[in-house]
Amino acid sequence: MRILNRILCSTIALTIAGATAGSVRAQDRTVPHTTSSDEANHWYELAMKEREDLLFVDKGIDSMREAVKADPHFALAHAALAYFTNDPLEEKRERALAQKNMANASPDERLLITWMNGTKDGDLVPAIAAMNDLIAKYPSDERLQNLDGEWLCSNQGAFDRGESVLKQLLKNDPKYFPALNNLAYCYALSGEAKLAPALMEEYVVALPNQPNPQDSYGEIMRMLGDYQAALEHYNKALQIDPDFNSSKVGVASTYALMGEQEKARAQYLVAIDGTKERATKLDYRILWAMTYYRENQAERARQELRKIVVEADRDGMAIEHAEAHRDMALFNPDAQTALKDIDHARVALLARDFAKGDRDNELATILFTRAFIAARAGLKDEVQKSLEPLSVMARTSRSYIVQRAYHSAKGASLLMQQKYDAAIQELDDDAQNPLSLQLLADAQNKAGQAAEAQKTLTTLAAINDERVETAVAVPQARAALKASPPTTAQATPFHIHP
Amino acid sequence: MRKRLLMVCVALACAASLAFGTDFAVVAHASNPVKAMTLADLGKIFRGKTATWQNGRNITLVLREPDSPGMKFVIEKVLGGTLEEGKAILNESSRKTNVPVVFVSSDAEVVKVVEGNSAALGVVDVYNITSGVKVVKIDEKQPFDPGYVLKGH
Repeated sequence: MRILNRILCSTIALTIAGATAGSVRAQDRTVPHTTSSDEANHWYELAMKEREDLLFVDKGIDSMREAVKADPHFALAHAALAYFTNDPLEEKRERALAQKNMANASPDERLLITWMNGTKDGDLVPAIAAMNDLIAKYPSDERLQNLDGEWLCSNQGAFDRGESVLKQLLKNDPKYFPALNNLAYCYALSGEAKLAPALMEEYVVALPNQPNPQDSYGEIMRMLGDYQAALEHYNKALQIDPDFNSSKVGVASTYALMGEQEKARAQYLVAIDGTKERATKLDYRILWAMTYYRENQAERARQELRKIVVEADRDGMAIEHAEAHRDMALFNPDAQTALKDIDHARVALLARDFAKGDRDNELATILFTRAFIAARAGLKDEVQKSLEPLSVMARTSRSYIVQRAYHSAKGASLLMQQKYDAAIQELDDDAQNPLSLQLLADAQNKAGQAAEAQKTLTTLAAINDERVETAVAVPQARAALKASPPTTAQATPFHIHP
Repeated sequence: MRKRLLMVCVALACAASLAFGTDFAVVAHASNPVKAMTLADLGKIFRGKTATWQNGRNITLVLREPDSPGMKFVIEKVLGGTLEEGKAILNESSRKTNVPVVFVSSDAEVVKVVEGNSAALGVVDVYNITSGVKVVKIDEKQPFDPGYVLKGH
């Protein structure tokens, strides 16, 4: 849950009141930001409030765009826009502008820019040091700590450290409600989801007139598999703010998970209408198209995804372009044409120029997906072909996304070679990915570890989210468990490889 | 809501129930010229076999309590034996003068001690480093590098 609290209100008010063109603002509570324009300062503060505190995501990005428009030399605003946007071309451009204008920034702003850029580039050691320096220097900058806590939990999986940062923040100011939101997600993502609803209760009571607490509560309940409660909370969020798009797509995805695809599609269309971000529109369109797969209308789904491919290509949205091909591949029952689909995804991704770190992460995802599809069909050579470029990437990439994709693809390769124990070790490294979990269960079964395989299936079956991987792997896991409930000694094998 | 609808599986990598391992950083005072060492070099310091820096200053080792989270991994990895064997080495009475070992209760304290002692060498969860310490490469790699040897599980 994200909401503006009283401390931030006063900080922002002070910041705006104290704005002086052309100077580094002397604030002892928060990291300063340097701009020659009062207007840019206003937009920056508004953007941070919208994006970080209230989670009006699109509005926040728009406001940050206004900030850099008002002062094109505003380095921190460029860096923040690069950090927040989900448009890879905008990210690359804004990051370059942040670097170009770095001389205009104060030393502490430069530290924040180092963190923002470093977390994206995988240059994490200086990024972490920079953030910790800033937190030590500005212990009252709650937004800063919240940003860090969220990154640690949601991006790095550093749950202990993230929990510690967020708990300290709440200890210092129990009314800093955005931290409740991030702490709840931290628990949910780290497998302690049962701890999240109590925080959500606190959050919705604290901020009864804000939509995000109800929205987050909805997502947490959906993650826990309580779809009815999820819908109730999403709808409460929409009663508070009918334009809160996150809840619109939340309702849609909940219906999709409930198997009510007609309703899901109708709601996705509402959500698509509700955003003007090109990448987000396409993301939602892909989810909309996936509903046809969910109800076994594969040809219709492919038709719709092909349309998205054309539009994404036209608009230069390489990630969405590649993702549409990848979805087609994962749902394609014919392995040979599925491999062609996934190779189209790779070509689409490499055809566009954007931040290398982002591209590597997406490419690694595509290559592991390729390995999975090949393993599912028992195509040993094709698994190897997918693994080779990933091995090259993994030798130099610090990205944990690349590393996990590599280990999973290696696990798929070892599974093909019937080296089950080694495969299990590799696949364990990417145990958050439904496709890896499916391969892991298969390897465990073949290694004679029926009880472990059953546990893996149970973990897999408990995943409730809108990812394509979940849509592919979870129904099979649930069917397998239904056929062979956990109380029985023998796990039901997947049909991954003959 | 979270800030971005993450559709790509690995971008949403935290959706299930396993915590990740962390990388441990070997840290020295910012003014220390040392940039890198091998795991074997680090093992010699842990054993008290290497007692001084190149400038002749006596090394002080700063670690979290051996039973604290993660330290079992670090001690076993660096010293190559069991935790109990490692504890015995680190607690030998001769260590009071020969690479003294300072045990503290948190990573923040390790960092604080190393920041304030130009001859200190510490090991911390990388997420706790500051610019007041220098991260020393081990076997030519730093935390998050592929194949980094002090990657915990």
